[in-house]
Amino acid sequence: MMRWPAVKTVSPNFVRQVAALAGLLLAGMALAAALPPHEVTTPHVKAELVASVGAVVPGSEILLGVRQQIIPHWHTYWRNPGDSGTSTRIDWTLPAGATAGDIEWPAPARITLGPVSNYGYEGEVTLFSRVRVPADLPVGGRFVARATVNWLVCEEECVPEEVELGLSLPVVASTAATGNGSPAIARAQARLPQPLPGKSWLQREADGALRLVLEGREWLAIPDGEVWFYPEQWGRLQQSAAQTLERQGERLTLRLPAGSNALADGAALPGVLVVKDKAGAEVKAYHLAPRLQTAANAEGELGVAAAMLLALLGGIVLNLMPCVFPVLSIKALSLLRHADYSPLQKRLQGLAYTGGVLLSFAGLGLGLILLKAGGQAIGWGFQYQSPVFVLIVAYLMFGVGLNLSGLFSIGSGAVGIGSSLADRAGYSGSFFTGVLATIVATPCTAPFMGAAIGYALSQSAPALLAIFLSLGLGLALPYLLLSAWPRLQSLLPRPGLWMERLKEALAFPMYAAAVWLVWVLAQQAGPNAVLVALGGMLLIALAGWLHGVTRHSVGWRRHGGVGFALLALGLAIVGGSFGVDALALGKPASPAATSAEKPWQPYSAAQLGELRRAGKPVFLNMTAAWCISCLVNERVALSDAGVLAAFKDAGVTYLKGDWTNQDPEISRLLDQFGRSGVPLYVYYPPGSDSQPIVLPQLLTPDIVRSHLSSRPSLSSSLTSKESS
Amino acid sequence: MKMPSFLRSTAATLTFALIAGSAGAVANLDQPAPAFSAASAAGGTISLEQYRGKTVVLEWTNHDCPFVKKHYESGNIPSLQKEATGKGIVWLQVISSAPGKQGYVDGATAQKLNAERGATPTGTVLDPEGKLGRLYEAVTTPHIYIVNPDGKLVYKGGIDSIASNKKDDIAKADNYVKAALGDLAAGRKITQANTQPYGCTVKYAS
Repeated sequence: MMRWPAVKTVSPNFVRQVAALAGLLLAGMALAAALPPHEVTTPHVKAELVASVGAVVPGSEILLGVRQQIIPHWHTYWRNPGDSGTSTRIDWTLPAGATAGDIEWPAPARITLGPVSNYGYEGEVTLFSRVRVPADLPVGGRFVARATVNWLVCEEECVPEEVELGLSLPVVASTAATGNGSPAIARAQARLPQPLPGKSWLQREADGALRLVLEGREWLAIPDGEVWFYPEQWGRLQQSAAQTLERQGERLTLRLPAGSNALADGAALPGVLVVKDKAGAEVKAYHLAPRLQTAANAEGELGVAAAMLLALLGGIVLNLMPCVFPVLSIKALSLLRHADYSPLQKRLQGLAYTGGVLLSFAGLGLGLILLKAGGQAIGWGFQYQSPVFVLIVAYLMFGVGLNLSGLFSIGSGAVGIGSSLADRAGYSGSFFTGVLATIVATPCTAPFMGAAIGYALSQSAPALLAIFLSLGLGLALPYLLLSAWPRLQSLLPRPGLWMERLKEALAFPMYAAAVWLVWVLAQQAGPNAVLVALGGMLLIALAGWLHGVTRHSVGWRRHGGVGFALLALGLAIVGGSFGVDALALGKPASPAATSAEKPWQPYSAAQLGELRRAGKPVFLNMTAAWCISCLVNERVALSDAGVLAAFKDAGVTYLKGDWTNQDPEISRLLDQFGRSGVPLYVYYPPGSDSQPIVLPQLLTPDIVRSHLSSRPSLSSSLTSKESS
Repeated sequence: MKMPSFLRSTAATLTFALIAGSAGAVANLDQPAPAFSAASAAGGTISLEQYRGKTVVLEWTNHDCPFVKKHYESGNIPSLQKEATGKGIVWLQVISSAPGKQGYVDGATAQKLNAERGATPTGTVLDPEGKLGRLYEAVTTPHIYIVNPDGKLVYKGGIDSIASNKKDDIAKADNYVKAALGDLAAGRKITQANTQPYGCTVKYAS
């Protein structure tokens, strides 16, 4: 009798293998179960998690969104749902270090039922957010995104629905391999409202209604049809009331009946303007944030002329900034020294300096225009976001300091920004002093200039240039007047040894500026950058000394000296630049882990949105290490024990955004408040629909505290919470 | 300051009719609340005038609306009603759903629903024609209005600060109604008197 040997002799090994295989299968299934499907269909909506890419690159920005396909006649809601309803909410669960911004909402439609009007979407919509992929994600792994999506879908009756969606994307090394994303994202991007061309503002009429005024060439060509303004905030307008349109050539006015929650004078009402043709098809959608004008500034937002005047004043104030003042003083001293010059020569000196300043500002302005045209989110002081630029300026400050200290002086050769600062009468020296003054002035954004430059960036290229040139003229003006006006020169003290001493003393502010810039560099590119920068400075000092001691030698010594000096200088600049650039790239993006003990948390749009939705009060501080006024405000006001205690008492979350390096999320926030640079301080009082309050750019503890306590709602809402 | 006497007499003469059409009768904050008189779920009529001297809360409701369910099933609105009526405050539900639409019920059903849900309002106003709703410009369920003892409208808006249908959010939200009633009791001005209502659309007759 035969038996099945296999049955009898099943080896323990085989059992173990089967068990292992089953275990693997189970684990695989568990893994699959842990990741929700990328598409879920409810009775009313087919929801799908979509991405702009098929694979992600560490450190890049991608778009992740939820595509809703809604059954006919039903709708989901826009960010402001209108009279009733609730907007769709997406809660992301992303790999550690990844952040998601707020939803970017395509233009809505109006859905009216009896006396109730809602803003939302019918048919299909994709709501996406910008997501930053962590830089330290290993290539070859997976980027796993999960979204909990809540929406209210209504025809006449409403049904709340919630789905869990998941998406797993491979992590690849190169942008060439990211593949194609979902076309739904591209369609949603095409449906996003565009920035409004031309000007817009609001006026209040006698009956409280708002009049939205739009000015621009755009309006000459719009079709007959409907123009409708969708406000982002609740209660500002009567949602159901008709908006009446008037056309007058390039000007369009829309009368908007006021809602129960009136807009304050001077406040902005962000919203979307949708233009439809006669057939009801959407032609254009624009994003705008018109400001309600007070009687005082009836026609003008800040006009170009006013902005130029402000810029001029700001430029004059820049002369007093700690890094600019020495440069200017030295220039003034050289006028004294060359008392034998003819008035004409002195005037030409002044003009050369002014030319240097103006050309530099024109260069900055053109740079901004080009970057803007390229679609970059940039702002004032942007050049300091480059570590290489910071390093070069630090070297420059240090070099000028050494020159002032008398370590070396440079002959009348062609080399030398700032080389002729003290001694030379050459017009090129004056010209480059102007360039130098511009470079060192930019981080010291005077309080005047925030508004003027923010305005300039929103204007056409010629207006932007005009404002920048006014700023430059302001900076150049004191010296220009001094050089052109012999009377003023006679007011200066007589020349003497004191001038030499003053010159040497003025070296120290330059060293101080260099010290500060090295610190900025450390923030940008980590502690090793300090080594690179200081090593470079050592080489520069060596180069200066070699040049100084050999300049009166003859033959090979002299040439050898110059050669060595140039070599050391080149090494410092080239090596240093590559060094800090590499370090900046390698530096981990988020310093969040170290902030446990700090009274603030790093800013992210996602967190701000969450806190706002929960109705929590928030204080925002947008800052950068290269922004002096930011640092002063942080020391004086925002580190004050009383202020921190007040934050704590009021339950305020203090969020700090660091713009030291380029950060599109922060640039977008600045843009929302019409700013192009830091500092920006905003207080969001409690309540999810409260109006943000922008604080001045120069803070004291009292200013901050008064903004917190001026809201009576704060204490009462807190007490009511305690009692509940 | 009491209400101007002519308004009081107008209200008195029109006891059995809704005076929706009368001049100036709109629900504006810090103005006299529009007077009304309408059918009660318990039979008879309910008028605003009969509660002069007391604080009156008007709550627009629709028992099938998910947002109403959020606040009833969690016990939030029933406990607010209990707390308020315990302090002598009048709490009136208003049902403005048109016949055949979601939330429309007759008086007996309305009372039965309240019994099932542990809800104890002072009364329930039946407004199937939507006149009271349109008079007060109620747009959502829930939508809350508070009239002070002088007959002035002192609050209109949402029940709390987080517009969602999730019960978990109730504890995290600022309860505007509770805060407003607290301010009224303490003789303070209501700090958040005009807030964003959220919920389902009131199912008016179209």
